[in-house]
Order: sequence, then C-alpha cells, then structure tokens
Amino acid sequence: MKKVLLGFALSLLTVMSVLAQSKTITGRVTSAEEPEGVPGASVVVKGTTQGTITDIDGSYSIQVPSEATTLVYSFVGYLTKEMPIGSNSVINVVMDVDVKTLNEVVVVGYGTQERREITGSVTSIDSKAIENLVSPSFESQLAGRAPGVQITTPSGILGAAPIIRIRGVNSISSSASPLIVIDGVPVVSNDRSSVNAANPLANINPADIASFEVLKDGSASAIYGSRAANGVILITTKRGSSGKAKVSYNTSMGFNEEVDRFDLLTGDEWVTIANEKLANAGQDPLAFNDVNTDWQDLIFRKGFTQQHNLSIAGGSDATKYFFSLGYTDQESPVRPNELSRYSFRANIDHSISKAVRIGTSLSYSYTEIFGLNNGANSLSGAIYNATRSLPNVPIYDPENTAFDGYNVTANGATTGFGANLAGPDNNIPNIGFVIDNNLYRSRTHRAIGNAYGEIDIITGLTARSQIGIDLTMNDDFQSLDPRHGDGRSSNGSVFMAYNPAFRWNWQNTLNYQTVIADDHNLNVTAGLEYQFTKFYNFSASGTDISDNFYRLNNIISGSYNNQFSGGGYAERGFDSYFGRFNYSYKGKYLASFTLRNDGISDLAIENQRGTFFGGSVGWRVSDESFFNSELISDFKVRASYAEVGNTEIGTFAAYGGYSPVLGGAGAGIGYSAIANNNLQWETSKKFNVGLDMTIGRVTVAVDYFTNDIDGLILDAPTALSLGVPDNEISQNIGAMTNSGLEFRAYANVINRGKFSWDTDFNITFIKNEVTDLISPLTSTYNRTEVGNPIAQLYGYQWAGVNPANGNPLYVSGDVIVQYNLQPDLPDGTRRSGYKAYDPANPGDVSVTGSAPTQAYLGNTLPKWQGGWSNNFKFGNFDAEIFTRFSGGNYLMNESLRGLLGQGFSNNHASILNRWTESGQVTDIPKLYTGSDQDMWQNSAANSRFVEKGDFVKIQNIVLGYTVPQAALTSAFKGAISNARFFAQVQNPFTFTGYSGLDPESNQYSGQLQFGVDWNVAPIIRTYTLGVNVGF
Amino acid sequence: MGLVALAVAGFTSACDVTELTPATLIPDSEAFTTAARIESAVLGVYESAQRGFYAGAVQRGYPFGAANVEQGDMRGEDMYNDQLFYEITYVGSYSPNSANNNGMWISLYRMINRLNIILDNLDEAIANGVLTSEEGNEYKGEMLFMRALAHHELLVHFARPYSDDPSSMGIPYRTFGIDDVTKVPEGEAVGRTTVGEDYTQLLADLDAAEGFLPEGGAFRANKGAAIALKSRIKLHMGDWAGVLTEYNKLTSKYAVTANPATPFRGGNSSDNIFSFVNSAEANPGVNGALPSMYGNPDLGARGLVKISPLIWRSDFWNAEDTRRSLLTTRDGRGIYTDKYQDATTYTDPNVILRYAEVVLNAAEANARTGKLAEAVTLLNSVRSRALPASVPAYTVAGLGNEDGVLTAIWNERRIEFLAEGRRWPDIHRLSGEGKMAGVPSKVASRSVTNIDFYTTDRALSLNHSIEYSNSRFIWPIPLAELQTNVTAPIEQNPGY
Repeated sequence: MKKVLLGFALSLLTVMSVLAQSKTITGRVTSAEEPEGVPGASVVVKGTTQGTITDIDGSYSIQVPSEATTLVYSFVGYLTKEMPIGSNSVINVVMDVDVKTLNEVVVVGYGTQERREITGSVTSIDSKAIENLVSPSFESQLAGRAPGVQITTPSGILGAAPIIRIRGVNSISSSASPLIVIDGVPVVSNDRSSVNAANPLANINPADIASFEVLKDGSASAIYGSRAANGVILITTKRGSSGKAKVSYNTSMGFNEEVDRFDLLTGDEWVTIANEKLANAGQDPLAFNDVNTDWQDLIFRKGFTQQHNLSIAGGSDATKYFFSLGYTDQESPVRPNELSRYSFRANIDHSISKAVRIGTSLSYSYTEIFGLNNGANSLSGAIYNATRSLPNVPIYDPENTAFDGYNVTANGATTGFGANLAGPDNNIPNIGFVIDNNLYRSRTHRAIGNAYGEIDIITGLTARSQIGIDLTMNDDFQSLDPRHGDGRSSNGSVFMAYNPAFRWNWQNTLNYQTVIADDHNLNVTAGLEYQFTKFYNFSASGTDISDNFYRLNNIISGSYNNQFSGGGYAERGFDSYFGRFNYSYKGKYLASFTLRNDGISDLAIENQRGTFFGGSVGWRVSDESFFNSELISDFKVRASYAEVGNTEIGTFAAYGGYSPVLGGAGAGIGYSAIANNNLQWETSKKFNVGLDMTIGRVTVAVDYFTNDIDGLILDAPTALSLGVPDNEISQNIGAMTNSGLEFRAYANVINRGKFSWDTDFNITFIKNEVTDLISPLTSTYNRTEVGNPIAQLYGYQWAGVNPANGNPLYVSGDVIVQYNLQPDLPDGTRRSGYKAYDPANPGDVSVTGSAPTQAYLGNTLPKWQGGWSNNFKFGNFDAEIFTRFSGGNYLMNESLRGLLGQGFSNNHASILNRWTESGQVTDIPKLYTGSDQDMWQNSAANSRFVEKGDFVKIQNIVLGYTVPQAALTSAFKGAISNARFFAQVQNPFTFTGYSGLDPESNQYSGQLQFGVDWNVAPIIRTYTLGVNVGF
Repeated sequence: MGLVALAVAGFTSACDVTELTPATLIPDSEAFTTAARIESAVLGVYESAQRGFYAGAVQRGYPFGAANVEQGDMRGEDMYNDQLFYEITYVGSYSPNSANNNGMWISLYRMINRLNIILDNLDEAIANGVLTSEEGNEYKGEMLFMRALAHHELLVHFARPYSDDPSSMGIPYRTFGIDDVTKVPEGEAVGRTTVGEDYTQLLADLDAAEGFLPEGGAFRANKGAAIALKSRIKLHMGDWAGVLTEYNKLTSKYAVTANPATPFRGGNSSDNIFSFVNSAEANPGVNGALPSMYGNPDLGARGLVKISPLIWRSDFWNAEDTRRSLLTTRDGRGIYTDKYQDATTYTDPNVILRYAEVVLNAAEANARTGKLAEAVTLLNSVRSRALPASVPAYTVAGLGNEDGVLTAIWNERRIEFLAEGRRWPDIHRLSGEGKMAGVPSKVASRSVTNIDFYTTDRALSLNHSIEYSNSRFIWPIPLAELQTNVTAPIEQNPGY
C-alpha cells in the first residue's frame, strides 16, 4: 500500500448565522457562590450558534429571532440551564454549581486532591473513551490521549508489551518505564514468561478501570519519591455507589488483520534474480521455474476476536460493591498467536460506623497466551521465515505423510527444494509445519488486591492502613516437534517452567485536613511504606523424546531420554517514610511540599537510603479581584520542582561476585559481576511551569518542563580486553536532560440541537540530550554520545550504485569508495574488495580503497507527538474519530535490508531494480551471491535504509447508536434500561512516508537500542461490532 | 489508636525489608576461602573457555567449545561454507563490528580475566592454608596453560605472524585480573605489546605451567598439554630446535592411534593431549556445536559446513586413505566430516591438542633443519597408519628435496587436522614466512550443491582469496574495544 504523508491542520468550525433578529432579551446570570454575577457565562439561543457572553456583573443582552423558544446558559463549573423565552424580555438566571466538575477529585498517590487545587502536572484519562476498544492490554489505548505520554505498540504479537515513556526517556540503562499503581498497590511489571512475550499489564481487565491519572512532573510524582523518575500511572478501578444494583453487559466481536504485508518477489521473478546473483559470481544456476507461492499466506490470517464483560454495581449507604466478570479471546493475525483472559473483580467498601471504614479491592485473572517463535533472525521465526522461503517451491506435498503433507526434505533438515538444485539459505524449515506443530504456551494466574481500614480519629484526622498484594503465577510450556524445525536437532524437546513473583506492600498514612480562619486550607499526609518482592522460578525440560504422542500438553515423565532442570531466586525490598503538605489560601494561592526517605535493597547497605523532596506553587489569577476578563473564565499558573529517583536499577545492582556456572568439565563458579559498593541513587531534577486556562468554550493547558538526570546508574562499559563480566560495571556515571513543551486544548465546539461536537487535541515537543558519559555507548545500530540524544542511528553512509559497474558506493572519510564485486581470477588473485572511486572514471577498479567509515544517521526519538480526538453526537448516534501523530525521528529499515539479501532466499520486490547494464542509475547494486556484508554493511546501520518515521494515524473510528428509551421501555417493559450498539475499527489508516509496514515497528524496547524495524510482526487492524446493555 | 501505633512499631522493627543479600552470588571475599570453592572457580575458567559470550549471550561455543575450530576452518580453504552462517568469516568481509571477531575477542579476554583473578588469589589461599602449596601450584599451572592458549588464539587472529616480523603489533597480554573498579585504569594502560614480546610471555607462562602441572588425562590441563602447546608456539616462531625439544619430552607418553578416528571417539586415546569437554547440559548448542554444524543432515545434523571439494579432489590425498572413509559421511549434496557425531546432545569434546600435531610439528622442524629422513619417518608415522599396506610410504627421494618434504608435511596437516580448525594458524604462519601467498582461493560459498562436485571433475567456482598484504588477512580489533578504553585506547589494525 502506498501511503502519502498528509498535512493536518487544526481547524475550528465557525458557522455564520444569517438569521433575522427581531427581539432583544436582557438579564443577569448569578449563582449562590457568585451573587454579584457570573462573568463570562455563555448565553446561546437553543439550536443555533447565536449567542453572547455575560459581562463582569453577569449581565447580558441578546437579540433572538422571533421563532426562538429557549435560551441555554452555560459556564464551566456550573450545570447548563435552559430557560423558555416565552414573552419575556428580561430573564434572570441563578445557576447551580456542577458539583461533579467543580470538585473533580483526582487520585494523586496516598490520597486524592481536588482538580482545581492541583499544582503539579497531572493528566486524567477517563476510561470511557477506550473501554470498548479491543486490545490485549489497556495501556496501548492510552497512546495519544495525554500530552507527554508516549506509548508505542511496536509489533502485532499479542502479549508483547507496549513501550511507555512519560516525558521522554529518563534513564539510560535502568528502567525507563513508569511506575504503575493499581488502587494504591505498585504492581510488578516484570514479564515472567520465558517462552512468550507476556505483558504483565495484559492480566488486567481494561473494563474494570474507571480512570487513569498520569503523574508527570516532579511535584505530582514526588510522593512516589524514589520510584518516580519515569512518571507514575495511577489506575483506579470501578467501585459501587449507593442505590439499586446496576447490571451492565458489554460485548464486542470482530476480527484482527495485519495492517500490511511485505512486498515480495513471485516465484518466477525470484528465479531470475536468484540465478543472476549466481551468474554474476561465475556460478551455475540453481533456481528453476515451478510454482508461485506467497508464504505469507501461511502465517497471516483473519483472527477472530471477542470480549464479554458483565458487571454489577450498587450498594447501601453503608456498603457499596462492584463485581465484574470478564472474558476475552483474541487471535492475532499472525498464526498461531492468541491471547485469552478470564477475569474476576470484587471491590467492596463498608462503613462500620461514621468514623470507621473498611474495604477491599480484589482481582483475579487467568491469561493464556499461545505464542510463536518470531525471532528476527531465527530460522523458524515466522516473519523471517515466511519472507525468506523460496517462492517457487510449493508449501504442501500431500504424499509426504511423514511430515503431515508439508513439503519437507526426507531427512527433515529443511523445506523441500521443488525444482531448485538447492534449498533455502540456512536450511530454514517449512514454516507451515512449524506453526502447526510447535507449541509456545504461557499461562498466568494473577491476583492483585488490597484491604484497607480507615479511622477518623478526630475531625479531619484520618488514619489509614492498607495491605496490598500482587501475586503472579506464571507457568510456561514449550514443545518442539522432533521431525522438523527447531526441535529436529534435539530430536524433539519439551520445556516447562514455573515463574512466580510475589509482592506485598504495606502502607500506613495519617491524613489531616482542616480549614483555618475560613481561608486557609491545610491537607497534611504522613506515612510509611514497606514493600517486599520475591521472584523465583524453576524449570524442567527433556530432549530426544520417545514418541511425539506425549509431547502435546505437558512434560510427561519417562517420555524423553535427556532431562534438564534449572531455577533461580531473587528478592527486592523497599521501605519509605514520607510526608506531604498541601496548602491553599482561598483557592487562589496554592502550595504543596513532599519529602520522602527511601531505602532499597539493590544498593549496598551503607548507601541504601535516599531523600527526595518536591514542591510546587500555584496561583489562580482568575480569582484575583483585578483579573477582569470577559473571555477568560479560569486562569491558573503553576510551577514545581522536585528531585526523584529510580528504583528499577536492577536486582542487587551494587553487588558483585561469583555465580554458579555449569561447564562441560563440571559445575563451578564464575566471576560474574564487579561489586560497586559506592553505587548511589540516581536522581532526576524535575522542573515544570504550566498554566490552565479556560477561554470561552476552550480549555487550554500548557506545560514546559525540564528533567535533569544526574549520577545515572549506568552499566558503564569497560574495554572489552579487560574481560570484566558483561564488559560493564554499574556506576553512577552520566547525565541526561529532557525538556519539552506540552499543549492541550479541548472544547465543546458545537452544541446545537441534536448535534454536538467535542474536540480534544494535544501535542508534545520533547528534546533529549545526553550531557555526560564515560565513553560512547555503541550497539549494532545505535550510538549514544555526549551532546546528542540517546540512541542515535549510527552506521555507514550509502553513496549509491556505481552506474559503470553496479558496485555499491560508500563514504570513507571524505571520499567515496566502491566495493568491487568480482570473483578471484583463475590464478587465485583476489579482485573483490574496496576500490577507489573516481567519478570521472567510475569503471576503474585498479586502485585499492579504504573501508567505509561510520557516521550519525538520525535520531530515533520522536521530537513531536500527540493526539486529536473528535466526538460527535447526533440524536441517538455518536461517533469518535481519534487521530494520533508523531514524528521528527528516523528509523532503520532492517527488514528491507534483509530482504535485499544476496543469498538463496526470497527478496523484496524492489530488488527488480538491480543494476544490470553499464550506465544504469539505480539504488540496488549488481546482484552478487553471498556479498551481503560488503554490499549492505550488515553489521551497523546504513543510511540507504534510514527513513523518516513521521506519521499520522487514524487510530480509531467508532460509530454508536443508542436505542431510544421509549423503544426499550415498550419492547422490554423496563427490563433493559439502556442499550447502545456500536461498530468500530482500530488502526484503519496510516499516513506516512515510511516504506516499511509501520513507522512504529520496533525490534527493540530498551533505551540504548531503538528505532530498528527488523522483522517484527505487522501491527493489528481490528474491526468489531458490539453492544452495551444496562439492566 | 495506641494499639495501632504499637502494632506499627512492632512490625517496623521486624521489617528489615532492605537488608537483603543475593542468593545467587558468592561475594568476592568468600570465593577463595575453601579448597572446594577454589576448585569450583577453576572449573569456572573451563566453563568460560568452553561456553563464552557471543553477541552478549552464552552461546555458540566461543572461544574453545567449538568456535576456534569453526573460525579456524572458515578462514581457510579446506572446509567449505554452505550457508550464510559463516559467510562473513569465509568470504573475509569482517569489520570492526562483525560478530565473529568480536565474539572471539570478548570471550577470550573474559576467560583470561577469570583465570587471572584466580592466579591473583592463589598465593593468599596457600598462605592461609586453604590449599597446600602443591595444590596451589597445580592450579597455577592450569591457569597459566589456559592463559597461553587464549593469548595465542588472539595472536593468530588479530596480529600479524611472528614469522614475518616479531616487532609488529601484538595484542594486550593480560597478567593480572580486574575484579575491582579501581583496577580498571591499570588494566586500560596495558597496550598492544609487540608480537615478539607476546610470544616471550607465552613461553614464560608455559614453562611455568610445565613446571607446576602434573601428568594427567586430556580433560584437564596437564604437563603434556603445556609441552604440546609450546611445540605449536615454537613452530610459529620458527624455533625448530625448540619444537624438537618439546617433542622429545612427549615421545614416551603419547602415541598416534592406529585408527585415525579413535581420538574422536571419547577423547581419551593415546593421541589426545588436551580437549575441552562438552556435555549434554553444557555445550555450544544447536547454533555452535561441531556435530550440529559440521555433521550430515541425513544423520540429524545441520550440515552447514562441508568438506571442501578442493581438498577432497586434491591429488595429495590418497584415494584409499582411511581418513576418507572412517572420518567422513556423505549425502546427495556433499561430503561431511564424521569427527563429531552427537548431533542430538552435542557431547563431542573439542579436541585442542593431539600428539599427531606434535609429531608433524617435529617432522617439519626436522625438515627445516636438513634432517629430511627423520622428517619423512615422522610424517609416515601419521600418514601410513591411514593407508593400506599396498600404498607405499613416502621417501625422501620420492618427495625430492626439502621443499617437497615440507609440502608433503603441510598437506598431511591439512588432511590429518581437517575440520579441527588448524588450517588458519598454518596459513597465518606460512604466509608470514612467504611460503604461502595468503588465504588461497576457496570454493565459492553456496556453490557446492551436489555430490558430483566431489566425485567428478565438475568445474569449481573459486573466490574469497586474501593476499597476505591485504589488511583483511588479520581481523580488526572490535570497535567497542577502542571506544571504551577511555585512558589508553589501543591501536586498530591498519585498514579498518
């Protein structure tokens, strides 16, 4: 599919009214809070866009057409009110405070705070926008919903964890993922499976979630102190409210498909190409025309997907409950990948007396993932294999019953040759047989829960104790067929593992709230927290199995000749003493301070403790008497500064010594880490200034932030020849800074009769720079060096194809060299190698040239990103179009480089443009068998394959229809209280100049290796139909 | 309220959640406190030799589990690369970033650091009475032998041959361990000494090892191994008298086996001097183990490397040689070595030093010093055992002159050590001396697709030669080595 990069512009619809005006109405808008008048309130003739705004004293004057019947009064923080016009010419209105919005309560960690009092940077995301979408885990749907929050789904494998970055990359070799807290319990975010990608957040039913709060700046997150370097995502699950039980059932069904496939050669095209590679090297043809096979047909499918959620919520004044059951089954478009989850939740709150409350949040889920081998260069890796398999060879051979009718050589070593004289490179197996017979299964039981008790000791003083647990019981099963594929070499293998993780977390807080002299609001929290986490695992495996029959469900004693076992154990502890002080004067002057002292077991005992503080101030300018704007109804400025840390530095990061090693000569101990007792906390200094403003119907939030990270805990590389374990020592070395600007605007653009349009736009600009390092950090594709953003692409500079002889050209220092592609002369003289390139005499290969040199080829982190949601309502119909965009980054299209390989493998269709005759100008050199390394410089990035990653995606389109109440009442006599049908498509369109399958494809999720699209499964497009029913 | 406070206080004091220690790491301070732990640490050196790091993970048998053989063969012409797996080494397109040369460098120095740390701690263990001085000295001998073995592997891959110019750039020779952050600058200061200095240190280490080591079986370093390795190193140095001295120390202890397959069937024959053990639980794995990579696909192996038609069709390899029959298998696509057979659990030991090599080293040393008759006798002791009585043994007269005898010895090495990784070190030393022009042309990668390339005179497509003067003759130093040494980065080999 060809894609075009389209420009997008935010345009606000303005509708000119040309209606005749025949009557003037005047009046005053007041409220109990503002008896002197509500300024800036909007007065609109219902069903039109015609309106005005009240003056400073709340008075207004409006001309209305003669046929107008109703005026609509609205203002932020108040309930919208409609007044009949009738024959009145003066209409005075008293507006009622909208308790819900005015006192919007935001979860901020160890408590809540009113939205209007917040001085840090906190973005709330309502789950309503995403709860009907289909995805294996909730976080992928948060992408683009909040400024400063970058979430990338790098592949279409169900179970693969999305990459979450809040305000950029904030650590180099420690974790850069945010802390996730569910109902006050920091959850374990380690993937425990050893056979599949099994994202731990996929164990959580998205339908149970009420809201997300993203704590982004230092002040908001400082209460999480040492764990806040990468931001915090607080998740609150749904709870009951008093009243009759509300039962709701939501379901949707549909299918998943791959957004795109690789454009490969047909069998006939490939025969020409393959033989040309050989002929140019002086070798005989090996490929011959037969069939035309697209092996991608084998690995891709339309995957069925369904989800069902049933919940019951309700309660009395004393007891409130929320119960839910959830089931989802999702088939990935890549066979045989599938994820299913069964989940259960019970949230109960009970007031024993006016002063004593208890409650629990309990959830259990069971997640089963069927995975696959999708290693980027694994011979049985689905994408690798299907794109390399020879396209002139049939998939099936019905007579080959020993291999279930697949086309496989008699000895099982590789795919059948068909008409060719050779098999595929590296003897890759028939991927159809592999997918049908090899099993990768992970099952996870996950219990997350907490119980709390709260006592009001005196008025305003509340003590709370909460114990939370997070238990993951993961078991793995992998079984490989002895006949063909990965299991052939060991004559079949079975592997099982049990990988639990258990955490408990105990928090005790005292909270005191009071109002002094009417105007001074105080809210003080003090507390202590303990956390302990245990990770352990053991495994058993067998190879050389006696009969394929026994291998399919579990490891079975006695069914294999060789048996192996393994295991491991690690524990981590954390404790903390903390306090927070919030103060506000008349809601105008706001201040907040937090202080925290934390200890962590990963550091040596003498350096375990760190102290972290944060503070913020805010000023609600719009509450000042001098502030007098008709247009701007709310205006708040805020500033914050905090120092926070990062606890995800690696288990026992400071410790060194000898780990057990098993060699052929026996079990021994091997030096495996250099201790560094001096290792200290890594700290981030986070600064934020922001403003919140409401202008007419538009609410705007702007934030500027910097985050300076110092004393980074770095796996600092050591010279390889020192032989230090892993060639690294954990040290406090390095500094990095992120700075950026966030902007969000949302508005009810139109609210006219049956039609309304809400829009919500956000964009973030981020700049990352590494400011101190011991030495450059280099990986295959990326390099990180002082003065640059982290993980820039680094590699060879392509200079085109020599039109005279088809040799590839590269930059070497400040000259261009060519790699001469020719076999040795009969006397053994080598002719291949780097030769000087003289543009005046390009065919001259007589002068030896130097080897190509490397340079920076582009940054991999997006410089800008954001989202734009538009919601429409027309009568009973609703619709949402959600758009996401990102750019300013580059990525290395390694998939394409591999598909232009010079071996006996299928190729990308663009190889048809190869150089064939003198004078031809092209970007594919002369074909030459086995010359991959010299032609494409495979061991580093190559500018030939570095492309811009800019994109705009239409992320979701949702259409809904709510059945009219009257119809439900007449049809079901009140048995069904509400019903909504919906149709949705996720990932329908991507506009990008990137030539690969998807500009967010990424083989790596770490910080130092990034921006490499390398044989990852294409992301998923989902079509679903569904219904929400309330009883 | 008071109760709650009391409970909190009580629990808090019992709640030392941060005073934890790792369950899987023995601290440095406790590693050399018992004799059993020291034995374990020594086994850890064997483990690092047999299962080192390649591309950041323990895999593929770097450096001495299998990779020394595979890389040594793939740099030469007698084993043929049939797949992309060894393409970079086979065609000579390595760069400072490519994985094989990086893997070899990293895994060898990792092994060296492990053994140097032990060497640094043995004297204290002896002084503290943890070991007797005899036990301690045996361990010293083992570690010094391994140190020489590893550094010599580095020298043949990353440095120009001693036989050309001993004053050319060698490799950093590491004689102390790095187990503390403070030792890093001292380690970084060790630069590329000259090849000559490195060979001097090799011999110093091996002389000491010979003195410390007892006799023993082939699966642990032993006195014979130190002597055999010295014979190899002196051959590289052109110290012909020295080669003979070492040979003479071994003649009464070892013997070439009558059946050429015997050294590969268990690894403890009279010919086996030193081998690294592979086991079902610890081996180079499906992507590295010799039986996996070199074996016949019809026998469950992968067959990524075959015997080259070049040597199979050569006229110097007698058609009736039992090494053609006892040590090879074939399918419709080619001929494979049968030296390594366990393609399921990869337990074949990696044979490092054989007496046959010492014998042929001595044959060459004799020939070089004009003792042609002695040379041919030794040559025949290896060759004729693999031939029926009907095939006459070599004679000095039949071979002509010294050059003829030397050529016959070198050819015999190619046959006898086929698929043992010895071809590259011979190309290295002989090219340096001008006896070879560099890496000869090989059969082009992927071009041998049928058994008739072996059994008929079907034309072979030749490619991938590297003349000795070409910078690609030796491997580049890994880029990361140069970048991460912040105080005294070593020099890259010219041309990279």
